[in-house]
Amino acid sequence: MVAVAQHPNIKLYSYSEVVGLSGYIGNFTVTIKEKAKYVDYDKCTGCGLCETKCPSRVKSEFDLGLGERRAIYKAFPQAVPNKPVIDADNCRKLQSGKCGICEKLCPTKAINFEDQDRLVTEEVGAIVMATGYDLFEWEKAYGEYGYGKYPDVISGLHFERLVNASGPTGGKIQRPSDGKIPQAVAFIKCVGSRDDTKGKSYCSRACCMYTAKHAMQVVEKIPDGDAYVFYMDVRTAGKGYEEFYQRSVEQGAQYIRGRVSKIYPRGDRLVVKSEDTLMGKPIEVEVDMVVLATAMVPAAGSAEVAKLIGFSTDKDGFFQEAHPKLQPVETFTGGVYLAGSCQGPKDIPDTVAQASAAAVKVAALFSKDKLATEPMIAYVDETKCTGCEFCVPVCPYQAISMKPVKSRVHGQTVERQVAEVNKGLCQGCGACVAACRPCALNHNGFTSDQIVSEVDALCL
Amino acid sequence: MKRVGVFVCECGTNIGSVVDAPKVAETALNMPGVAFATSYKYMCSDPGQDLIIKAAEDHNLEQVVVASCSPRMHENTFRKAMSAAGLNPYQFEMVNIREHVSWVHSDKDEATQKAIDLVRMAVAKVVRNKPLQVSYIPVTKKALVIGGGIAGMQAALDIAETGHQVILVEREPTIGGKMAQLDKTFPTMDCSA
Repeated sequence: MVAVAQHPNIKLYSYSEVVGLSGYIGNFTVTIKEKAKYVDYDKCTGCGLCETKCPSRVKSEFDLGLGERRAIYKAFPQAVPNKPVIDADNCRKLQSGKCGICEKLCPTKAINFEDQDRLVTEEVGAIVMATGYDLFEWEKAYGEYGYGKYPDVISGLHFERLVNASGPTGGKIQRPSDGKIPQAVAFIKCVGSRDDTKGKSYCSRACCMYTAKHAMQVVEKIPDGDAYVFYMDVRTAGKGYEEFYQRSVEQGAQYIRGRVSKIYPRGDRLVVKSEDTLMGKPIEVEVDMVVLATAMVPAAGSAEVAKLIGFSTDKDGFFQEAHPKLQPVETFTGGVYLAGSCQGPKDIPDTVAQASAAAVKVAALFSKDKLATEPMIAYVDETKCTGCEFCVPVCPYQAISMKPVKSRVHGQTVERQVAEVNKGLCQGCGACVAACRPCALNHNGFTSDQIVSEVDALCL
Repeated sequence: MKRVGVFVCECGTNIGSVVDAPKVAETALNMPGVAFATSYKYMCSDPGQDLIIKAAEDHNLEQVVVASCSPRMHENTFRKAMSAAGLNPYQFEMVNIREHVSWVHSDKDEATQKAIDLVRMAVAKVVRNKPLQVSYIPVTKKALVIGGGIAGMQAALDIAETGHQVILVEREPTIGGKMAQLDKTFPTMDCSA
């Protein structure tokens, strides 16, 4: 992370979003919205004094609500950039005008309550999409697991925060309800994955492995701790993965093949009801905490980004690659490449590999000083064009614009508008040709004359 | 009259077992403008492409029709062969007699007739093809990476290492994404952040 921030060739826009894009391969213009941080990063040294005295406490998004943060905050100690932002919704000064403690404390006068969102434009030649994933909202779908009303039924990412040494519990596995160390933990795999009726039909690919890791951490960190893993299949296709899973079994994780049908409270514990399909009988286990391996779904807002850039998504909302086997990082939009789980669920090794592949595609593009464009595109016969502009909205690539031309009519010079096709943007789909009523638009390689001659050859 | 060469591919038995490729070639010889026609086992192979290059020279061909698989598969292959033969790569038409004929029909006579019809259409089209030239557009050698999680960081670093400028846009106040939230990672149990 620090390597990214320090690299002389990388310009980082944090707390920013892409809000506009135009152009085509090699020649994009992008508009970026820098959200107001209320902290001047040129002055801020990242000392953290402001955070210590801020009176507003809110649940930390980074710790998934397991810990707290202030209204002026860094998400975590190693954040990059290592400088805070003010969350305007929870800042007393910005909401009611009273407070401003951080401003008084700041030794470099970096706090600026007048800060505004800023729009900046950049010219780029290639785009890598790496918008990632979110977790499936199991609370909305799985009534049998309590719809999220039992505090000790958590997701795998919550568990990550609990075992993380810099997390809200300092790395101690404590259950959220009362902070007790859970003696028995149940893990349920495929919550939302491989479940057509309540979730997604696909396999999320990383969960089998991180659940094996979680189970191992429970038996390692909690003396005499029990880890029960309820599974449909154990999928360990990856280098060193099967061995890792076997290690979790050897260290004491108990794997039970069956879908959990119900979780309900008994005293301060939770009862997990399932079937052991290998034994062929129902099973009931009393545990202190349940961890759900929830499905990966496209990150919130990725559909909007896809629309902005102008490429397609698959049935589940992941970004569509140009070919599943031969072009896994390309999209149907030239110059736009995919990296990581925005294209489909994947684990860290696969993500890193795909990101490097996308980088090579960009480097290959940048190795050329100019790009050859496909000549089989639309062109305009300006003498026939009436300037009706029918073709402009029909074009899915925004490749047609209008331009003025002068012509002589009855001895007089008149100016009129005609259509013009941008050779970089036109993908040769032919939509405009079909829409053009005066037949002014034609398609190189598919002229009306050629199409008619084909029909004649077949029918006459 | 233009001089067209027609090459009918058998694609092993993919096409050859349903379509009578030699008959398609023989019939094509009588189509207006066709100066040469033949069939071959694999047109996309090196000897198959050499067939085009040699015939272009021997028969002074101006345009070429290849009846084989989908243009998505091999249009580029044959365009390159056209260039190698000293012809304009856009004086070329491809007829899909695999996906559109042999893979979807079982009656050999009807399939062969359909293949002949498709070739006749392509010949009528190719004689009206114009020699097209590619044009060139400039490249801005700066990349945009959207998302600063592990995928975005890795891509940004790799592009930056090739000496090009990268703009990395992250929605949150910090980069790192989900990865920064993780503890140790499988299978090596090293720290993620």
